[in-house]
Amino acid sequence: MTELWVEKYRPKRVAEVVGNRESVETFVKWMKQWELGRPPEKRAVLLYGPAGVGKTSLVLAYGREHGYDVVEVNASDWRDEARVKAVVGESSLQATLEGSTKKIILVDEVDGIAGKEDAGGIAALSRIINETRVPLVLVANNPWDPKLAPIREKCLMLEFRRLKKTEVVKRLREIAEMEGIKVSDAVLEKLAERSEGDLRSAINDFQAIAGGRKVVDERALEALGSRNRVREIFDALRMVFNAKSVRAARAALEGLEVDLDMVYTWILDNAPEQIPDPADLAEAFEALARADLILARVNRKQEWRLMRYAIPVMTGGVALARKHKPSGFVKFTFPPRIRFLQATSAERELRRSIAQKIATRLHLSTAKALSQMLPYISFIMVNDGGMGEALARYFEFTPSEISYLKGGKAEEAKEAGARRRAVRRKKS
Amino acid sequence: MLPWVEKYRPKSLDEIVNQEEVVSSLKNILQTKAVPHMLFAGPPGVGKTATAHAFARDLFGPNYIENGYFLEINASDERGIQTIREKVKMFARQIPMGEYSFKILFLDESDQLTDDAQHAFRRVMEQFSVTCRFILAANYSNRIIEPIQSRCAVFRFKPLSKIHVIQYLKRIADNEGLEVDDQAYEVIYDFSEGDMRKAINILQACASVSKRIEEKTVYEVMGYVSRGEVRRILELALSGKFTDARDEVRRLLYVQGIMPSDLVSAIYRELFYIDLDEDDKLELLDLLGEVDYRISEGATPEVQLMAFLARLAAKRKRA
Repeated sequence: MTELWVEKYRPKRVAEVVGNRESVETFVKWMKQWELGRPPEKRAVLLYGPAGVGKTSLVLAYGREHGYDVVEVNASDWRDEARVKAVVGESSLQATLEGSTKKIILVDEVDGIAGKEDAGGIAALSRIINETRVPLVLVANNPWDPKLAPIREKCLMLEFRRLKKTEVVKRLREIAEMEGIKVSDAVLEKLAERSEGDLRSAINDFQAIAGGRKVVDERALEALGSRNRVREIFDALRMVFNAKSVRAARAALEGLEVDLDMVYTWILDNAPEQIPDPADLAEAFEALARADLILARVNRKQEWRLMRYAIPVMTGGVALARKHKPSGFVKFTFPPRIRFLQATSAERELRRSIAQKIATRLHLSTAKALSQMLPYISFIMVNDGGMGEALARYFEFTPSEISYLKGGKAEEAKEAGARRRAVRRKKS
Repeated sequence: MLPWVEKYRPKSLDEIVNQEEVVSSLKNILQTKAVPHMLFAGPPGVGKTATAHAFARDLFGPNYIENGYFLEINASDERGIQTIREKVKMFARQIPMGEYSFKILFLDESDQLTDDAQHAFRRVMEQFSVTCRFILAANYSNRIIEPIQSRCAVFRFKPLSKIHVIQYLKRIADNEGLEVDDQAYEVIYDFSEGDMRKAINILQACASVSKRIEEKTVYEVMGYVSRGEVRRILELALSGKFTDARDEVRRLLYVQGIMPSDLVSAIYRELFYIDLDEDDKLELLDLLGEVDYRISEGATPEVQLMAFLARLAAKRKRA
């Protein structure tokens, strides 16, 4: 078994920790005070934030770089006050002797000990913070549990946010280079999107789809969560369209191992058949459009925290809009959107190739070449053999591209032109 | 034979029309040879790209590209910041050989870059400003982040007036031996909406029908180029055929490659003329404004337009 990349590529120095610069720097300053023999006013620090964003890695990297022994205590190691004292208490009360190794105590998953069975665990930890003579670092995903209140006020609180997509991609790219793996930006971006700012899961996914190969392409992505997709989607859709509350609608997607974009498309394309009343449908589409906007903000501004609104808005919005149901059962269908894109892929590919040739010669983007040049060139090729041939030579179109461009129906165009002229006349 | 948009592209600053202020500032810069970073802002087809090339040609001479002084990158095609960084860096960091101590990198459609990419680009700009000056072109300068704007001299390109567009077309027509009705010029200008590229394309397409160009020739071209699809889409939605309208929107966006902003504009124009009560029109205009804004914020055009069409489909035709 090869080494896990998350371990292999854990940062060795503080500078290598990805993202969250502000909290990282504050942590370093806090440690510096210990280093100088002037323990800070707050003897413990609480690093909090979602999983896989570098909280533990920061502490380990610091320890390694500055010669500290990091004594790790995991929440699962302790159940009550006695154990807390046994594990943390002793090391924390030992003054660091001249020449002996320096220590950092790292208590992971602090929110995990807030439960019932750990009666006294929090109180003990709170007392230890008062007395500790070595740096005490607590780590939590959710620090806002009321039971953690006594600890919170004694700790320097440092927030760790989800990493930006670009940060995740950058790190994955570095790993790819060190592993000698050829992989496109698109794949890394997909991995980063999937991870929602959790670098650890992104690295794990990357290692999983790489599976020891030296070239990783988009097909490899399909390996991630593709089991039983269609059946799962049908069940989820039934729940979404029939939900009576926002909560139920949201729950429909829980545990669904399907890409959010994919579920979105299924809902989008089944809505017209499932929602017969036009006013209801307009409501449903407005909700879908608003969910789309939320997702756009997440993507563009890297505002991962907004992610949580997208699913309830899209599922709940559709469910509540559906005040009238079709008479009789209407089955869910495979999205026409996907069929459409499949059916037109050859034509789109051809148009794209034509547009690229136009773009490079006319100082345009491919998008502009496609929409603003191609139709005119096509018109010319349909109408005037000489001028058309000359243009084809200039752009170096292939025979199939030429025959596509000439395929436009001239007669139909004339009629459309005449109709248009009539309409204009009427307007003015 | 060249496409006319290329054949009649202005080659030097003297040939740029209707941008007197911009041109005179650029000529000043040419004299002092102190070239700042620049941002060219203005609507499509008013000469931003042509001006960037003309400026570089006037500065570095006719072989400005071959001699390695000028590189053009279109941000719309190269959104990945990685590519931009690599390409830009590779070009910008090498000191040019020859009499000039710097080069020019032209980043067209720079408002297409994401915020992240813009921030990265800004750092590259700073890093290499000794060996490379940057010219950015954009339709909307407000989509360029403040730190980039503040490092650039901003030049605003005016929309082209009718007189200028028609004058330019007349020059081409004379040169190509065309006979064009006055009315035809008027209609070409209306369709072009002040976009010179579009105007020249329409003229060349007309010329492929006949050397004598009338109003109806122009309509024939435009009938082919956009076959009244937008109006059809609105009619379909309004007569309750929502899914047909949806499929048509997908064709326009994904096969034809119509730019979403153009589609929104076309709907905007048609909306005033469809069979709806005035109250409903107003509501739909309001919604279209929202759709337009959301798309500019990065939302999916297809989905936003569907929400609009679904709302339209819920309206009744005017009695």
